[in-house]
Amino acid sequence: MTKDDTLTVWQVVELARHPERPYALDYIRRWAPDFVELHGDRLGADDSALVGGVGSWAGRTVMFLGQQKGRNFPERVRRNFGMMHPEGYRKAMRLARQAAKFRFPVVCLIDTPGAYPGAAAEERGIAAAIAHSIMEWFWLPIPVVAAVIGEGGSGGALGMAVGDRVVMLENSIYSVAMPEAAASIVWRDNSRKVEVAEQLQITSRDLLAMGVVEEVVEEPAGGAHTDFDATAKALERTILRYLEALTRTPTEELLQHRYERFRYIDSLIHADADFGPKVGSGPA
Amino acid sequence: MITLTPAYKDVPLVGSPLPEIPLPTNCPGCGVGLDREELADRAYVCDCGHHFEMRGEAWIAFLADLDSWAERWADIRPHDLLNWRLPKPYSLVIDQLRSEGLNEAVRTGTCRLGGRPVWAGVFDFRFVGGTLSIVAGERLARGLEAAASERVPYILVAASGGARMQEGVLALLQMAKVNAAVGRLHAAGVPYFSVLTDPTFGGTAASLALLGDVNVAEPGAKIGFTGPRVIKQATYADLPADFQTADFQLARGQVDMVVPRTELRPLLAHLVDLYST
Repeated sequence: MTKDDTLTVWQVVELARHPERPYALDYIRRWAPDFVELHGDRLGADDSALVGGVGSWAGRTVMFLGQQKGRNFPERVRRNFGMMHPEGYRKAMRLARQAAKFRFPVVCLIDTPGAYPGAAAEERGIAAAIAHSIMEWFWLPIPVVAAVIGEGGSGGALGMAVGDRVVMLENSIYSVAMPEAAASIVWRDNSRKVEVAEQLQITSRDLLAMGVVEEVVEEPAGGAHTDFDATAKALERTILRYLEALTRTPTEELLQHRYERFRYIDSLIHADADFGPKVGSGPA
Repeated sequence: MITLTPAYKDVPLVGSPLPEIPLPTNCPGCGVGLDREELADRAYVCDCGHHFEMRGEAWIAFLADLDSWAERWADIRPHDLLNWRLPKPYSLVIDQLRSEGLNEAVRTGTCRLGGRPVWAGVFDFRFVGGTLSIVAGERLARGLEAAASERVPYILVAASGGARMQEGVLALLQMAKVNAAVGRLHAAGVPYFSVLTDPTFGGTAASLALLGDVNVAEPGAKIGFTGPRVIKQATYADLPADFQTADFQLARGQVDMVVPRTELRPLLAHLVDLYST
């Protein structure tokens, strides 16, 4: 599926972070030109690192939630480089609950280096905000599709990526921690980021092989930034195909599958001898 | 601080005799010379209030009434899935820790606490910093599912640096795996009590550790998402002295109470009774 097999892992990281790469609103506005953005967690704040709102897409109203980076410096600061505070997760869950009320499917676009690693986020309970989001996604009785469009960093990404289907753009990454943070943790030296990136297995092909994502969506030659329209069209085809099937799935079945998807997310380790050694015994 | 109701005075301070733990000769809190045996009987809490770190088997002995611990799924083994080489091969790290008698970052099983049957999951910080791994996640999820179906209260003892880097994104996904199971425990109406010990951070704090019906923190425990070193690196911020301490998290609504270890078992027994319907 990848046309250019010659890219190094770090070149993929740089494409995923390319300053001209399409961001969440670039997709949402192409897919749903009538998109109405909604604001606020109703608890005291609005987090600009997460955009949320409704729009019509392929004949139905869809709730879009996207981690949003800024295109120029003032906007990057305003969007906090796509790093959400607790208020962002609370806003996301408020809108996801609203989607459940109206039976709108939810589409989450993932593009963050991680949740905001600052004192303000800690003081307002970032850990619990992410924990509650992850738990609550399992109970929302509507289809949820998540797409990693750039950086899928750590718990900050996972808090928005508990989907019935999770897909990745070809040159996006998804990791337990961004390479700099991982290097800082295992090496106490974030300059070893390139070596750590190679060990972490964070490219779309790695994630597909591990069974963590269902599909990798091909980007135009050179990367998504070379052709926003073509990238948006390719991602649209994939997401709509999944939404179509999911909206026809009975709710009980949907939630059971969502549970099993994550409960047994590492099952390839049990089943596939080619992917690493097996984990001990089977279910007791 | 809490005051125990007299009815729970009969729940012993420790469940079983505690194993020896590494101790300094003098208490870092008050400077007094330590009597190991006396300290073990008081759950490794000095008269001055200093809590010594208990890990893994000490916590299990602490929680479980004598001879009541039945460990489950101890045979699930970690593996080097990503062929991790640097700075130290993950397979060597695992072999080394296993040769020291440690069995992964989480152990789980059933026991009695003051006579009451409970499920328990206990993190061990000595195993790669108590990191959430595939084995840890699997043991936690199976235990939570079993507690839900058996309708037996679940007690977690958390001590973790977060998700395990050497297992990559599959370690991250354990957060979703265990939270799915916590959700089912809550939906089944089964009580879940989370004891947060020093330190509880990252993916463990941002998954099951803060999702208890009651979150109980040990005095002085550091609890948070991003560690202070990374926060300073990322934001150049000066952090207050009490940043991310148990009292800091109590004041900010993240935990229900800060309880000395010497009062923890009677409290847990009391909570099990109050929440059993």
